[in-house]
Amino acid sequence: MVIIIASKEALAKRFARLDNIEFSDVLVALPFNLTPDATTEVTGKKRIDGLVGVTKDYVKVFTDDKPVAEYKMSDIKEFKCVPCVGCTTIELVTEAREILLCRADMTLQLLYATVSKRLGRFIERGVFDSDFDEEVDVYCPKCERPYPPGSNVCPHCADKKHYLARVWDIARPYKSYIFISIALYFIISAINLINPYLNRILVDNYIQSETIPELGKFLIVIAMIFGVSVLSQVLYIVRSLTLVEASSRIIVKMRAMVFNKIEMLSLKRVSKRTAGELMNRVTGDTETLHDFVTFQLGDMAQQIIIFVSVSVVLFVYDWRLALMILLPAPILMAAYRALHHFLHRHYNKQWTLNAKANSILHDIFGGIRVVKAFGMEQAEMDRYDKVTAAERDISMYNERTYAIITPIISFFMGIGEFFLLYYVGNKILGGTMTLGEMQQFSAYVSIIYGPLRWMSNLPRRLVRVMTSIIKIFDIVDEKVDIADKENAVDLKIEGKIDINDVAFGYDDTKNVLKHVNLEINPGEMIGIVGKSGVGKSTLINLVMRLYDVDDGNIKIDGHDLRDISQESLRSQIGVVLQETFLFSGTVYENIAYAKPEASRDEVITASKLAGAHQFIMKLPDAYNTKVGEKGYTMSGGERQRVSIARALLHDPKILILDEATASLDTETEKQIQDALQKLTQNRTTLAIAHRLSTLRNATRLVVLDKGTVAEVGTHDELMRNKDGIYYGLVMAQRQMSRMNPAG
Amino acid sequence: MTTIATETKTQATALRDVVQMVRLDDEAAAGNAEFYKNNDFIALKAKLENDKGEREEKVWERVFLHRMFPFDDPLSYISVLDKDQNEIGMISDLRNMPRETLELLEGELNRKYYAPQITAVTSVKERYGFSYWKVVTDIGPIQFTLQDTYRSILRVSQIRMFVVDMNGNRYEIPDVEKLDRRSYRLIELYL
Repeated sequence: MVIIIASKEALAKRFARLDNIEFSDVLVALPFNLTPDATTEVTGKKRIDGLVGVTKDYVKVFTDDKPVAEYKMSDIKEFKCVPCVGCTTIELVTEAREILLCRADMTLQLLYATVSKRLGRFIERGVFDSDFDEEVDVYCPKCERPYPPGSNVCPHCADKKHYLARVWDIARPYKSYIFISIALYFIISAINLINPYLNRILVDNYIQSETIPELGKFLIVIAMIFGVSVLSQVLYIVRSLTLVEASSRIIVKMRAMVFNKIEMLSLKRVSKRTAGELMNRVTGDTETLHDFVTFQLGDMAQQIIIFVSVSVVLFVYDWRLALMILLPAPILMAAYRALHHFLHRHYNKQWTLNAKANSILHDIFGGIRVVKAFGMEQAEMDRYDKVTAAERDISMYNERTYAIITPIISFFMGIGEFFLLYYVGNKILGGTMTLGEMQQFSAYVSIIYGPLRWMSNLPRRLVRVMTSIIKIFDIVDEKVDIADKENAVDLKIEGKIDINDVAFGYDDTKNVLKHVNLEINPGEMIGIVGKSGVGKSTLINLVMRLYDVDDGNIKIDGHDLRDISQESLRSQIGVVLQETFLFSGTVYENIAYAKPEASRDEVITASKLAGAHQFIMKLPDAYNTKVGEKGYTMSGGERQRVSIARALLHDPKILILDEATASLDTETEKQIQDALQKLTQNRTTLAIAHRLSTLRNATRLVVLDKGTVAEVGTHDELMRNKDGIYYGLVMAQRQMSRMNPAG
Repeated sequence: MTTIATETKTQATALRDVVQMVRLDDEAAAGNAEFYKNNDFIALKAKLENDKGEREEKVWERVFLHRMFPFDDPLSYISVLDKDQNEIGMISDLRNMPRETLELLEGELNRKYYAPQITAVTSVKERYGFSYWKVVTDIGPIQFTLQDTYRSILRVSQIRMFVVDMNGNRYEIPDVEKLDRRSYRLIELYL
């Protein structure tokens, strides 16, 4: 039983029919498949057929098409999607109580989250956005199999020809290379067929000859055999070079395509996938394709050509003999597959254990300080021994099986050759075949088994490469959700920011920001405070337009963010984040990251302002010091100062400081604060800080709470409200700092 | 926190003296705590010690239950949380509770934790980086899809597994060794 999310339309129609209302009155209808009543384990698990219908006036629940509950929309204050463990629910909050509306397995989680968020917005704003993201559909409508996460392409139903055509589009500029290599394949194959023929002549006319052969002709044949071998090897090299040339270029092109696309996608889309997964798309999947084009595609062509040509030659020569060789071929292929499957199964087990042993080693060495500090050396040794012992056992079993089974299998596979030998031997004895012919024949037979063995693995390889191709185009086809409008303006920013009734959530489960209103004048320094997770960084992300708002708008100098070109926006915003990131390169390159054309004077000025110059000058290689993965390891404070310098170099009109000085000691912080204060004059600054003293220069403080602006004002104004959140925060910090000197 | 810091300086204090464990099953037995049904959910009325060590009666209109060791024992170590997910206390063993309370709380847990039990595996097919499973469970035959098969199987013990499909649904295999031979062979590779 697959739980198919029937189309939204079909559900809505079903609800309209059950409730005798017009289809157009339905806001949305949701299925559910588990009972909310779970008094016993059995009822809690039972699957049911439920439907929740929502109109703008009421919410109605049906099980087995019978109405069981109804709630008035005007009573409902909130729709909450509450994910449980292995199942999910929607709850209603009314003035009087909380209600469990429906419950379903996790398949419906995304739909529930999206719909409850939208219904929440409907209650607040009176509009229902029924244009669902296609992501809500998790099943392919054609084959009813689920889509891969984060994708809407069903690999089973995807039009494979369409994808191959697109790969060909990319490969087209290199078609001359490809044609040359294909031609070479034919030539090489043809040459390979000549050698057994020459060998036959050698045996029949010279070695077995009854007359004494002429030495000259004999040498010519030898020379021909030699020449043919050399020629075939030379052509083989030429072919490989041509193919490598073409495939490398194609792959680089595809890789750039995927990489560029990922860079273009918004954070929202990118962060849906892990860094590892993205790396895999850029390198792994393209690599699979590269291998396929360079090695396997060529092999495939070659093997097929060989197979066909050798078969033809054999048939022309003696069709009975040819049949004797080819008829068992399918059985042989099946046998190879079975053997492969069997070995794969057992070696996979061994491989898994090996990976386990390695990960234990990784754990122990990575945490060697902890292991030693707690005196756990012996326990860890035992743990490792146990896994390696298991690995040893299975590997011994595998090797033993392999050693026994392969000779047996090859014996049985070669059994056909005995029949062949018998048949051919008879013919030779009967005088209808010469020894040379026999030799030529067995050469062809051994040639033809190669492609057979190879082809038994073909389906698996094809599936693998097709998967990669689909995955590559899946990302290439993803639509860019934060794109510049056609008429986006390049704005010279003055620094006025208007935030109007903004709502936003990272996913469809819940809104981080609900109704945020804020007006920031040019040159103001705004300190944003509030508890962790309240949406401070989110607000800043929205101002930078790393994400687009869900509702409301943000305007800079009266222009909606979405009307300003991203390049002009970001080039005038300077950002210092809490998480500092240094790229591999020199200190200089890191500071000049966003402005590579900056002069040395500019870089030095910026780093002096950021308080970085001082420590940089203590390094032997000063600004040329290599940092990043393999270079000099900077302390947290040093990194922070480098990233402040990076932001300042921009000379940005809007400065964003997200916990910029959090990892500095108070004294250094003060130095930088003073420098920043000079800088923040005439510059709109948004600063987030947990240490409230950091914000003492702020013109106004904004306290965020529960997704909205709770308090706004200067430090003194806010301190007057003894029940306020800000007052509480300040008092808590004072207490802590009073404690600090003692502790 | 100030108090902790000073106390550790003067004398070593046992951990249990510093961290208060509120055992709601003990409190219930002493008549200081009572769980009851409040519409669709569960409420708690309890007279617990506050910071000053005085008992104070309080009503939580809705409490949430969360298993601390969901894989070890579903009925012991249940955390009881308020609506802001702050822990009110814990139930060390649900079986200590009176029958009605036990049934009430068990119902709430059954609602929150959902994992059909796999009784047989009919087929496992790997394709395009996914594996497609057909299984028989205690609620009937089910099909599901795993992404990254090996990592989707939670090995709780040598014999007990949870299979987590790509949507986040969980299926329990209570004892792999008790599966029939065919089922076992199908999944053996991933164990």
